[in-house]
Amino acid sequence: MNIIKKYIPLTIVFMFGIITLASYYVPNRASEEYLEWINKWQNIVSAFALFLGTISLFYSHYKKIQRKVDGWGYSLFVYIGFFIIMGAAILSNGNISKEGKLTYLGWGFNNIYNPLSATMFSVLAFFIISTAYRSFKIKSFAAFLLFICGLILMLGNIPLGEIIWDKVFGWTKFTIGEIKDWIISVPSTAGRRGIMIGIAIGAAVTSLKIIFGIERGYMGKE
Amino acid sequence: MKEKLNKILKLDRRYLFVLLTLSIIIPIIKPIGIPSKSISTSVKDTYDFIEKMPEGSTIILSLDYDPSTAPELHPMAAAILKHTFKKNIKVIILTFIAGSGGLIDELVRTIPPQYSKEYGKDYVVLPYMANVLAALTQMASDIHSFYDKDINNKPLKDYEMMKNIKNYKDVAGVIGITGTALLDYWVVYVGDKYGVPILGGVTAISQVGYGPYLQKKQLKGLIGGMKGAAEYEKLISQPWKGTSGIDALNIAHILVIVFIIFSNIVLLILKFL
Amino acid sequence: MLYFRYMNKKVFFINLFVLVFFTVNAFSNKGKNSIKQNIEKIELKNLSVLDYPSDKGNSIILYFDKDEKQKNFQYEIYLSTDSTNWIKAKQARYDELSASNIELPFWMWNKKRNINALAIDVTKVFSLQEDDYFKQNPRGFSVYAKIIAIGDNKKYESQIVKGIAKANWFRLDRLNNLVLVIIISIVFFMIVSHAKKRELFIRRIAGLDAIDEAVGRATEMGKPVVYVPGIGSMSGISTIASIFILGEVSKKIAQYDATLKVPHYDPIVFTVAKETVKQSYMEAERPDSYREDINVYITTDQFAYAAAVDGIITREKPAACFYMGYFMAESLLLAEVGAGVGAIQIAGTDVDSQLPFFFTACDYTLIGEELYAAGAYLSKEPMLVSALKAQDFGKFLFITFAIAFSILLLIFSKIETFYAEKLLDIFRVR
Repeated sequence: MNIIKKYIPLTIVFMFGIITLASYYVPNRASEEYLEWINKWQNIVSAFALFLGTISLFYSHYKKIQRKVDGWGYSLFVYIGFFIIMGAAILSNGNISKEGKLTYLGWGFNNIYNPLSATMFSVLAFFIISTAYRSFKIKSFAAFLLFICGLILMLGNIPLGEIIWDKVFGWTKFTIGEIKDWIISVPSTAGRRGIMIGIAIGAAVTSLKIIFGIERGYMGKE
Repeated sequence: MKEKLNKILKLDRRYLFVLLTLSIIIPIIKPIGIPSKSISTSVKDTYDFIEKMPEGSTIILSLDYDPSTAPELHPMAAAILKHTFKKNIKVIILTFIAGSGGLIDELVRTIPPQYSKEYGKDYVVLPYMANVLAALTQMASDIHSFYDKDINNKPLKDYEMMKNIKNYKDVAGVIGITGTALLDYWVVYVGDKYGVPILGGVTAISQVGYGPYLQKKQLKGLIGGMKGAAEYEKLISQPWKGTSGIDALNIAHILVIVFIIFSNIVLLILKFL
Repeated sequence: MLYFRYMNKKVFFINLFVLVFFTVNAFSNKGKNSIKQNIEKIELKNLSVLDYPSDKGNSIILYFDKDEKQKNFQYEIYLSTDSTNWIKAKQARYDELSASNIELPFWMWNKKRNINALAIDVTKVFSLQEDDYFKQNPRGFSVYAKIIAIGDNKKYESQIVKGIAKANWFRLDRLNNLVLVIIISIVFFMIVSHAKKRELFIRRIAGLDAIDEAVGRATEMGKPVVYVPGIGSMSGISTIASIFILGEVSKKIAQYDATLKVPHYDPIVFTVAKETVKQSYMEAERPDSYREDINVYITTDQFAYAAAVDGIITREKPAACFYMGYFMAESLLLAEVGAGVGAIQIAGTDVDSQLPFFFTACDYTLIGEELYAAGAYLSKEPMLVSALKAQDFGKFLFITFAIAFSILLLIFSKIETFYAEKLLDIFRVR
């Protein structure tokens, strides 16, 4: 059992990790074909995993309906919504539009999915204002610097900001756009580069740990 | 006094939501028309790049955003498409985001007829592909080996504009408009590796993160957020949703700044009371 | 005179035609001979065709020595597969061809050589499909080359040379990259092999220390703990780190007998997390407390997932929320709702654009590498802790190189750009 649960996965990870790493240094067409082949397998595995996930989703909501827990109506709606859209997709043959006219799937996309998705994203605006009012307290010099940079970037992002800046700080001969560009290209880039390098090195070492079997989180726990 | 100020600090956030709603709805209903004074360098670079492209060149336009980020990215996608059609540049549209189908469909239904552009001759739309890395790698050798059919399930090789397009060497550049990290993939796996000019369009929040790429010219140009879209629309003299949304953006931004300053002033007063 | 006067008109015109014909022919022949005579033979010194090194076998390098006398010349490069049917590959001026055109590092190509050089993609010249090209030419593609030099109102045809475009098995231009990988790997193994010999210090990470506090709070209040592993896939390093933390958190939850809910975005992550949580409950000796619905797959749509998780948080009113992994725009949507129900929130992500949102809305935040270090920090396993040291070594190496070589580059660029180029080649990514 240990062989199947532990050693075979470790061997597979090691083999494919080393081959994929080596393919970066092999220009031959063979390495390109290997990468194409492995990408296809990734797609196949993802498709099966999606199938498993969908079954689990239906199972957990079925249990809720069966036990009639609080809010079981929402679980019913999971089934209704899934089958309606699936039906529309089948009837439309997966096309959003045909000969310039919207299909059932296209209608569902434009009138159900689009507005819902846009609504969720727009809720972010309200949460930002609530967080800004509630949590953005300038309690230290670092927080004050952060506020100043944030203020400049926000003003630089809107035409009204340019007008306000010119009226109040026009005497500095610098436009808000120039200062904003400087903040983005100098201190922000420097900080971001540092974080990117740290993350890249961390990712490289973590990859080595995974390839050599030191990090086994992906297998589930032993 | 102290209690009143504490109450103000702990204000029910629903009042803030109402104020924000009004600040967004009113400018949309009654536009103020605040003029945009400057055009940022990165937007101008994007415009100049397309402007200098010879007629008949081909670009890849990767539209990787879904309805959630459409308010910021859809106007810039439309502006770029209009600009390329105006310059008689051929466009290969593709996507790696499943939810972008309807948005791409809207663009290709409404914009090509305005410029008398024909499908297959001036632009093609490729189908959604889930595996980004596979697509980007394989297009370097042969686009047709990965995308053998277009979105209408017809052989790509049969289209007039695709007959001379084999790989990245035959395209003048790639423009990636995305609300995800897909632009990084284009820069690293295509721009740096094969020397293809990459330009981008991203949400305002992601714009800051692309500073290193712009500095090193790994990105030839970048349009950031709704303001970037409005600036681009101004450059091509075709105001659309980017321009119309900027008024609401103006007031909302000012409101957030006012709230932050106000809450900190109240906190400061409380500290000294 | 009388002859001409009485000559048949027909005969006259025939004679005229013949005269004109031969005259024109004579002149054109002279022209042809003169054009043929213009294409003189020339021997271009060291004209050669090289296989382009470190490529997949579709390119060649054509080069020949520079000749000052040809400064104003134009060159037409012709290629052929059989030395009879020639295809014009490229046209370039004398000053456009130089050794520095070839984008190879200094250990593969001397850019200072006084030669004209050019890289040519043979599949493009002969309009070959890459798949067919590689299938039909597994051992390489033979190509003949010649150059027509145009200058001084004359044309010169060079000798014909032959070469083979072959697929190579090693990218020597990425040697710098390989050396760096080997150095880091050696250091990694050295440190890991000494792991058990002495205890290594890791600085305190407040977010990870607060896990106990958060789980304890949830147990006291009798409320559940919600763990959100983010929207990354299993191939993401941050997701792998998140699953490890989930294992430790679920172990503590099992020990304290609290309730856990883990909504998932990715079906593969869901499958792995299920196994991890189950095993954690076994290790905590609470197999009876484990339930199948701890892990729930929601959807692979970003905002639908955020809406579902917000709904779970609003309904269940958890005492603690963990956000560990890869997040994008939904980060504030989740964190703000969690703050609204009064939960203690611990977040960790390597997406720097989302860090400000987590900082303002959450009680503790792990930044980038702190998330990767979580595995080592929580388990205190010597191997994992020592791997952290390898990471620190990598950063130290980078900082040293960045400072030292920046100074050297500054000096060299003032003295001699050639050495500056060599230095840059060492760090160039190809």
